[in-house]
Amino acid sequence: MTTQQPILTADAILERGLKNLWYPICPSHMVGREPVSLRRLGKKLVFWRDHDNQVHALDDHCPHRGAPLSKGIVMGDRIACGYHGVQVRCDGTVTRVPGSPGCKLEGSRPTQAYHIVERNDAIWLYNATGNIDTPPPLVLPDELDADGEFSSFLCYTEWKGDYRYVLDNVMDPMHGTYLHKQSHSMAEGDNTAAFRIRDTDRGFIFEKEGQRDVNFDWTEWADTGTHWMRLEIPYPKTGGPGGNFVIVGSYTPISPTLAAVFHWRCRKLDGWQRDTWRFLYRNRLEARHWAVLEQDRVMLEDMEADANQNEHLYQHDMGIVRLRRHLKNLAKAELERMQQGKA
Amino acid sequence: MDRYLEPHQARRHEPTQYESLLGDAIERAYAAGTHDLAGLVAYLNRTGPGPQDGEVWTEEIYKAQIAKLAEE
Ligand code: FES
Ligand SMILES: [Fe+2]
Repeated sequence: MTTQQPILTADAILERGLKNLWYPICPSHMVGREPVSLRRLGKKLVFWRDHDNQVHALDDHCPHRGAPLSKGIVMGDRIACGYHGVQVRCDGTVTRVPGSPGCKLEGSRPTQAYHIVERNDAIWLYNATGNIDTPPPLVLPDELDADGEFSSFLCYTEWKGDYRYVLDNVMDPMHGTYLHKQSHSMAEGDNTAAFRIRDTDRGFIFEKEGQRDVNFDWTEWADTGTHWMRLEIPYPKTGGPGGNFVIVGSYTPISPTLAAVFHWRCRKLDGWQRDTWRFLYRNRLEARHWAVLEQDRVMLEDMEADANQNEHLYQHDMGIVRLRRHLKNLAKAELERMQQGKA
Repeated sequence: MDRYLEPHQARRHEPTQYESLLGDAIERAYAAGTHDLAGLVAYLNRTGPGPQDGEVWTEEIYKAQIAKLAEE
């Protein structure tokens, strides 16, 4: 008997997210002691916390007959399937088959387990292609360094559409001048600008020429074991001391029609200045930033799924072109590794 | 809701009237270009609101109160 291999393309790989990268999955508060099932990265995954608050993640698929493990019962670092009681440990090993003790499923490791870390109020998952013992480190930009000079808040949202439209949107600084013209923080800057691309050792920066610290003037794209984007928006004087408002973004596919959108809003502040910003953020700034982000969401959710198949791009869009080409090359490399059987 | 869209993720309670008045005053001081602590404290003493602990704002009182408000 032969099984039909689905034909995989670079595009299909990008649609469900590249392998061997860290991805933010959800805010930390979404996972507690009870198992929760979340769709991410083309998979259904189960997450839970053990008594030390460590988060675990497995494919949400019982190795016996495929019932959702998320309907099971958490027993510390194991989960007992609700269907016939098979116990799967957080590393993917079956530790007990109560209905058939000693059967060969016991002691095997049929389920994929995922390494998890919690950073900056989010749960991050390493999207390995199989069970691995040690993942590479998750390296985040300085703005998200817990002991660093920045203070930050996470804003998590889910937007309808492919996550690559979110990437395009962030790699498009010029939309700030138009879409966010009415916003409290983005009314400045020329409404025409020439752009250039500058390479960095971890990615590239797409920036307006001769314009810095005026409006939304540049976007950085970087790969440090996870893909993230960074941009700065100058605050008006009412924002107080501390310089520009920095946004770090990272985006994870939930499905081809839904994206998990993570933005960390950061400022370089300490002492009373930091406390004042955190107070103002909770009291009023969060609502204002939300209103700006909603402008993006409404625009992106109204785009047709195939909008990017009918485009006429111009100079402002060369960052998007560069990013798409880069991701496509990564997907092609992944496809090649899979075809050689060493994904 | 078929997707997560929660506008308030940072705050732990509805803003109190006092907090909103204080926020207004701080923003007004900032808008006037007052970005130093001594200037901010003097501004708050001129326009209110007063501190919740104590009669007048001092730098120490401001630091202590805003640190508390920042995490509430
Ligand atoms: S399907 Fe899970 S134990 Fe049978
Ligand atoms: Fe935007």
